[in-house]
Amino acid sequence: MGSTGLPRFSAMTDNADDLYRDVILEHARHPRNAESVANPHKRARASNPLCGDELEVTLALDGETIAAIGVQVRGCAIAQASTSLMSEVVLGKTLHESDALGRAFKEMMEGTRMELPEALDSLKPLEAVRQHSSRITCTLLAWQALGKAARQEG
Amino acid sequence: MRQNSTAAPSVATIRGDFPILQRQINGRPLAYLDNAATTQKPRAVIDALVNFYERHNANTHSGVHTLSEEATALYEEARARAARFLNAPSPRCIVFTQGTTAAINLVAQGWARHHLRQGDEIVLTVMEHHSNLLPWLGVARETGAVLRYLEIDGEGRLTATGREGGGIEGAVSRATRLVAVTHVSNVLGTINPVKELARQARAVGACVVVDAAQSAPHLSLDVQALDCDFLAFSSHKVYGPTGIGVLYGKEEYLAAMEPPASGGGMVLRVERHSYEWMEPPWRFEAGTPNIAGAVAMGAALDYLDGFDREMLRRHEIELTGYALKVLGKRADLTLHGPADPAGRAGVIPFSVGGVHPHDVVEVLDGQGVAVRGGHHCCQPLMEHLGERGVVRVSLALYNERQDIDQLAHGLDRVAAIFRNDR
Repeated sequence: MGSTGLPRFSAMTDNADDLYRDVILEHARHPRNAESVANPHKRARASNPLCGDELEVTLALDGETIAAIGVQVRGCAIAQASTSLMSEVVLGKTLHESDALGRAFKEMMEGTRMELPEALDSLKPLEAVRQHSSRITCTLLAWQALGKAARQEG
Repeated sequence: MRQNSTAAPSVATIRGDFPILQRQINGRPLAYLDNAATTQKPRAVIDALVNFYERHNANTHSGVHTLSEEATALYEEARARAARFLNAPSPRCIVFTQGTTAAINLVAQGWARHHLRQGDEIVLTVMEHHSNLLPWLGVARETGAVLRYLEIDGEGRLTATGREGGGIEGAVSRATRLVAVTHVSNVLGTINPVKELARQARAVGACVVVDAAQSAPHLSLDVQALDCDFLAFSSHKVYGPTGIGVLYGKEEYLAAMEPPASGGGMVLRVERHSYEWMEPPWRFEAGTPNIAGAVAMGAALDYLDGFDREMLRRHEIELTGYALKVLGKRADLTLHGPADPAGRAGVIPFSVGGVHPHDVVEVLDGQGVAVRGGHHCCQPLMEHLGERGVVRVSLALYNERQDIDQLAHGLDRVAAIFRNDR
């Protein structure tokens, strides 16, 4: 017993339940679009030096539209799940549309926007990460790499 | 403060000295196991900080008025207190710095870059914290000196021979001009044979710099017995405030150092085109120092030395052994560092199979357990261990078995959340 009189251990739920929802864990375990795109039109990396997490995005384009996406992540469950969820959302969207979605998501995570656009409904389980400020960057890493890839010439 | 007390205080009594340990984190009592990052502060230290600002605050040294004289006396008393803590021969060997990082950089910029030359060898270990590595990389780049790393064996013990079970004969060579070594690894907890390294260094005339950031809270330090030339530690890891620390230097070394920073409070005389520095250590304390921090650090050293340090060390070895046993039983964990609790400080790194350190730390936080995950500013060591990061548990004098039990319970929660069949 601690001096507060509260039990040191209890079976009650905690903030981990909110953060590590089943959908997050499922995506972390079975990431979508995890194969690198062969002969990609665009390729970019992003990393978080604080935790050493790294990821790479490869894109195949049909005109301006993302026809195929591959994302390899070395990171925590939050980074893996956000990457997987992002890859599903942007597949079939134009680079321009993806960029706007990325900005909307970033604004929401950083607290300058209240609601996600409908196209990002599937990313709602990540909203709980907003309560864990040190982890917000984990959710943005994939979008960062995508943005970098989109801005590349050629 | 419990100077010269005969009966060993109970951990419960010690815990009562630390107000923050009353806090709940996420609805649980706090199990604070991130002490290698920073320790919590006892009431005596908090009171010393407040008392200084409420009763004695003024700038030091150049004032004649009462408060300035009081502040100067308290600041210089803190210097003498730090000298006693290290068994330094004189307070003149004690330079106040911002902390260990600033202290090591002071040696690198003030001494090493002026005394090392092309081809000179700097001996480090693979377990150095970035703050005892980057300054030497910088010196090597500027002077043409080369870095040579001492390796570790499978239990994280220093080995100069490459053999398991260590042996550090031949750690230095004739080309060695500087040995910069951590006394206790901030990741592995390994206690390094600094005295033996210093003996070898002495034989070839090399300078010895000891990073004592992690040893100061756990071991009794004696710079004369270690026979090192410089030693650095941080107040905030020995229960004192942040933003203040100490560089100990032998007087002949301090006298041979250039001050990298200049300004007020470190000169005797300034003319338009010339100046004359003060003596060490004041020469190295340009600008208004962290006066309140130094004074409160003095209170922290009083607090720590008020205990029987041998008794504290025995408590730590016992608790480290308990933690190693509890963690060692878990099949999902990989532990690093020495197996013998007497060969390490209470610092225990581990990885949880398939789970990122930050996910582990997050789930533990939900259970009121504060630990740290990541590379711990030791990227070369992480590479050596084949880990991208590890979770680190680190103990202090107020930790007890219940903290370890709470950690184990939290690790059950980690296992439940990240089990693969979910």
